[in-house]
Amino acid sequence: METDKPIIAMSGITKRFGGVTALDDVDLNAYPGEVLAIVGDNGAGKSTLIKILTGVYQPTSGAMFLDDAPLTMSSHSEAIERGIDAVYQTLALADHLDPAANLFLGAELTKSFLGMRFLDNRKMRSESVRVLKDRLGVTLKSMDVATQSLSGGQRQAIAIARAVRHSDLRVLVMDEPTAALGPQETARTLKLIKALKAQGLAVIVISHSLDDVFEISDRIHVMRRGRCVGVERTHQSNRETVLGLIVGAHKAA
Amino acid sequence: MSASQNSNNNTRVTLNERLEPYLAIIGPLVMIALIALAMGIFEPARYFRLSNLNIILLESALYMPMAMAMTFVITQRGIDLSIGSVAALSAIIVAFLIKQYGFPAWIALIIGVALGAGMGFINGLVITRFRVPDLIGTLAMDLVYRGFALVLAKGLVLARFPELVTEIGRGQAFYILPTPVVIGVLSLIAGYFVLTRTYFGRYTIAIGSNPEAAEMTGISVDRHRVYAYVLMGAMAGLAGVMLMGKLNAIQATSAPYFNLHVIAAVVVGGTSLFGGRASMLGSFAGVLLLSMMINALVTLRIEFFWQSVASGVVIITSVAVYTWLQKSDRDGATGLMSAFANPDNVKTLKLAALLIGILAILFISGGLLSGNPNPSG
Repeated sequence: METDKPIIAMSGITKRFGGVTALDDVDLNAYPGEVLAIVGDNGAGKSTLIKILTGVYQPTSGAMFLDDAPLTMSSHSEAIERGIDAVYQTLALADHLDPAANLFLGAELTKSFLGMRFLDNRKMRSESVRVLKDRLGVTLKSMDVATQSLSGGQRQAIAIARAVRHSDLRVLVMDEPTAALGPQETARTLKLIKALKAQGLAVIVISHSLDDVFEISDRIHVMRRGRCVGVERTHQSNRETVLGLIVGAHKAA
Repeated sequence: MSASQNSNNNTRVTLNERLEPYLAIIGPLVMIALIALAMGIFEPARYFRLSNLNIILLESALYMPMAMAMTFVITQRGIDLSIGSVAALSAIIVAFLIKQYGFPAWIALIIGVALGAGMGFINGLVITRFRVPDLIGTLAMDLVYRGFALVLAKGLVLARFPELVTEIGRGQAFYILPTPVVIGVLSLIAGYFVLTRTYFGRYTIAIGSNPEAAEMTGISVDRHRVYAYVLMGAMAGLAGVMLMGKLNAIQATSAPYFNLHVIAAVVVGGTSLFGGRASMLGSFAGVLLLSMMINALVTLRIEFFWQSVASGVVIITSVAVYTWLQKSDRDGATGLMSAFANPDNVKTLKLAALLIGILAILFISGGLLSGNPNPSG
């Protein structure tokens, strides 16, 4: 997969907030069918980096390329149009609505009746079942429940399904996907990530858990104080090296 | 493949889980059944007379359109305290248009509803643009609208309106069902479809459930909040005209307690004051329950002033019971049985029993000590 061209390439990205430099000349490439982990201490610039990647922030300087074509995005919705989406740590689910309503929240399917447009709840439900099963291999025992009654892993699956529902999704950013989950739910979520990777998506995972990072990622992008201090190939690296890079004890190999 | 892993460890849907979504509606239905049972024992002849049932329906019909709209407002984590004044001001302007300026009744009625919608729109702008919290914003606007009504009508009582107006207030155009009941039930049915089948309804629940998530998914939160207040205002305007027709008279101080009565009905019906959970059927049951309860107190010849005590107790009870049922047990499971298992809940239960005991003593002594309510002349 390393011989493929990157889906998305960030080059020389710098972001300043007033006098504070949050990102300083950062490069990042994400390839299809790859899980790229971004690790780093708090305040290392991980969040700023993915917010630029998902169109929430605009870089002060530097360039981005989507399939080698220059890419500028002025908003998150523009990023979604280009096939880049994110699943946030809070999942952004409306807990009182059922899973299908959450999957299509803000982009509901409708049907026309007497010249007016009404929600097509049945179609949204069948589409949701299909997306959850085909893309994530998840079957909920009932689609007729409030989302708040589901487990953490199932809720995560719904949030992911909302992003992968767009068939043109190519880059999925996940912010701390396992932070709030128990061991069993974590294993399920990692399995979901592997399923997405197998479908040719570029998955970018921000995580504090090196266990998870070493289990699922292909490459590890280490951030420290707004700079990229190393990109490690997971199977050629080890925890000590990565930890050393995070805390600044050694330089990249 | 991994589907089995996600589904097979709890494929069984328990009775509790089946029951859970309907708990909200079961509450008011149980209370309605209890009232019916009690009245069946104490005053079956007078309470279940057809004319009395008609009175109960007529009384509740006035509140149905407002309860429908308030369900949307409360589901969005809002509240509207101004509806009584909106109703009074709309009705007074309609009355002036008909009596003083000779407007045809049907045009005046449409203007009345539109005026209500306009006042709701102003409420919505105050809340979303000026960022005044709902509670304060609508409380203040309540004073403003009431003030305008007083300025316009002074102490006047405007009375005697065309037939169309009295028809929508107390007409019997549909044989058994009074016209206002038909209007009220239709508005609730329409509300149910709007809630479940339209963008507005879906976004109303999403906004109440998780405002940040709604914003993130691109829903324009403020716009939909304004919509809810416009709907609320329009229904309050309609209720004002219905009240005017029912009494065949209107004055600036009419409809003083619409707000609390409607909020009580909606909350008793299971719509959550904390947002996100809506029950249109519950709102219908809530309106019916309050009317049945007040009528029962009247039928039992209990002093008028106990009505207010009873309304308050019903509201506290229903909200407390919903919250109580939401508590999970130690394993994190929710549902009817686990609510009983929670140690905190057991304590709450004991406190509730104590309060109910005190109230019962007060109620009984009140009943014994009160004078003969029959007129003494």
